[in-house]
Amino acid sequence: MKAAGTHPRRGIQALAIALAVLIAAPTLLAPAVARAEDLKITLVAPLSGRWARQGQLKKMGAEMAIAEINGAGGIKALAGGKIVLREADAGDSVEKAVSAAQRALSREKISVGIGSWLSSFTLGVTEVAERLQVPWFTLSYADNITERGFKYTFQSSPVSSLQAEQALDLILDLARRNNQQIKKAALVGDNTAAIVFFFKPLREKLLKAKGIEIVVDEVWTPPLADATAIIQKLRSTQPDIVFYGATNFPDSIQVLQKVKEFGLKTPIMGVGAWLVTPEYVKTVGKELLDNVMSVTAAHPLKGQEDLVKRFTQRTGEPFMTQDPLVTYAHVWIIKEVAELAKSTDPKALRDAVTKLDLRSGPAASALTPGRIRFDERGRRVGATPIIVQWQGGEPFTVVPAELATRKPVWHGGK
Amino acid sequence: MALGELVQYVVTGLLVGGVYALMSIGLALIFGVMRVVNFAQGDFMMLGMYLTYFLAVGYGVDPLLGALVAIPPFFVLGLVVHRVLLVRVTGGGDPQRLMDAQLILTLGLSLIITNATTMILTPMPRGIRAAYATQAFAVGPVLLNQARSYAFLMALLLAGAVYAFLTRTDLGKALRAAADEPEAAGYQGIDVRAMHGLAFGVGIALVAAAGGLLATYHPIEPTVAVNFIVLMFVAVVLGGLGSIPGAFAGGLLIGLVQSLTLLVLPFQLQNVGVFIAFLLVLYFRPQGLFGQRLRAV
Repeated sequence: MKAAGTHPRRGIQALAIALAVLIAAPTLLAPAVARAEDLKITLVAPLSGRWARQGQLKKMGAEMAIAEINGAGGIKALAGGKIVLREADAGDSVEKAVSAAQRALSREKISVGIGSWLSSFTLGVTEVAERLQVPWFTLSYADNITERGFKYTFQSSPVSSLQAEQALDLILDLARRNNQQIKKAALVGDNTAAIVFFFKPLREKLLKAKGIEIVVDEVWTPPLADATAIIQKLRSTQPDIVFYGATNFPDSIQVLQKVKEFGLKTPIMGVGAWLVTPEYVKTVGKELLDNVMSVTAAHPLKGQEDLVKRFTQRTGEPFMTQDPLVTYAHVWIIKEVAELAKSTDPKALRDAVTKLDLRSGPAASALTPGRIRFDERGRRVGATPIIVQWQGGEPFTVVPAELATRKPVWHGGK
Repeated sequence: MALGELVQYVVTGLLVGGVYALMSIGLALIFGVMRVVNFAQGDFMMLGMYLTYFLAVGYGVDPLLGALVAIPPFFVLGLVVHRVLLVRVTGGGDPQRLMDAQLILTLGLSLIITNATTMILTPMPRGIRAAYATQAFAVGPVLLNQARSYAFLMALLLAGAVYAFLTRTDLGKALRAAADEPEAAGYQGIDVRAMHGLAFGVGIALVAAAGGLLATYHPIEPTVAVNFIVLMFVAVVLGGLGSIPGAFAGGLLIGLVQSLTLLVLPFQLQNVGVFIAFLLVLYFRPQGLFGQRLRAV
């Protein structure tokens, strides 16, 4: 009886333990199957107004990278968490850009930001990001973006002054190899921050040091009413090279149309990727663009044919340019940073950016010299500019030579 | 400075001013007849540019002809906008409240047109590759851009046609009567509301035609209006609010001042010259160049 009496009790005890284990199991196993946490990022770029096209191109690059990352399983360190994009329209003024950043960063938890194309916008937007302690990646060129001691701003492009120095060396070398001499230069462009910082060292020291005289120095506030007076000055002074910075598309078209109308043959070196977008071919035709060059922070390089093909197939764009390419790289950098930080916390991600040293992968291969590392100011170490040249209706990388997709062509005599 | 260079600045200014002038007379007509400040005027110009562009790209219509083709549909569009929207905020009531409602309505219309165009046609800039946009007539050392020269001539013709319509036809005279004294015009059997619709239709058609002419050499994008709307208002006020010849002269003067300013000021201050001229005219002739001084009762 005794033995028989204990058996049911043991059975009940065993059942109770089994039930307790079953109930507790999910809790005990929880750390092993943590819920995936999505990483929310924001892209603050002009999606309306006169620079909307550039914002649209940036968005295309971001969306392509996100589709690739999320399609391949997301961020492993966040248990397969996906990257979620929140876009914000920077509009056509610094005030609108700052307000967009403020709204985007305060509405919900945003871990990282990207933007805002025009240096003048980026200067304002990064102040908001710094105050709210959100790491921010930008392709903008202006030197002062990373001269303010900010801890959360990361500039992946070579700064304007460096671009000016390297572009000048290239153009002199190219002219020399074509038995041409550069004695007179013209500076023609608007007063947006990147152009100002490009022209400043040329005007103050670089051209003088090379014995080159500045014969035309015309700067305007966009929009330009009429370009005739500028072209008239170029025609009467006959410079050997024109450094050209018209970020506003209608302004730029006006200048190029007048160049043709007045029959000017002076080589043109643009400042920025705005000069190598597909709509230029549609508006002014490939003949007018042929041999026009531009210094940019990035452009598809030799070996990136597959990336460009994926981009053109996905978007219907005829070719890939700096804006989608760098934004694509930025999203991949953010992915790698999140893998390193194992967190969506902006501060942890910022600390991870300072430790980042990428030498391979989609981000590293998109930006010269193939390495992603940021110095204490937030500038990408070793960032070098690309020289792009229009040839047959398409812009090709012509410098650096080892990564070029075409050889540079000198514009010809005057 | 060589004389040839000075002449080039003057000619360039006048050619640019010709299209400003055509843009401005539409605005002046609407204000003159309806007393409505139409902030959406630049957006109708942008739509005129797009229509000319699609006619050129889709059907091979020369943009100069396209600018003329744009007139009838935009006239109808103007009539519809007046009938559906503007009629509610014009034609009697507390003038201050009406003015507020008109400003909000036209500003709202402007925002809707700009953003709807951005959504539908994307912000991508487009351009008509007219061969004459990059060619010039050489008159001695002076070069006259062909597209601007044609646009200038067309602007002159259209402005002349509007002037003839207003001064030589019964309908035009009725329009002026409705503008000058709406109440008395009503007593004479003139349908003032219909005249408002007519003025709005003609005003919109003119600015759309100006947009078509502009499209021969200027890229087209949804936000193109912001580059011109302020200049249009300056031209209208400069010429005398509501005066058609005044708006035309104001437009020409703006183009001329913009160009000649560059002889003494750097490019960055190009529009400073325009606004200095504007302030000077208003200081010495507050009623504008062609406006009539209002008498205090």
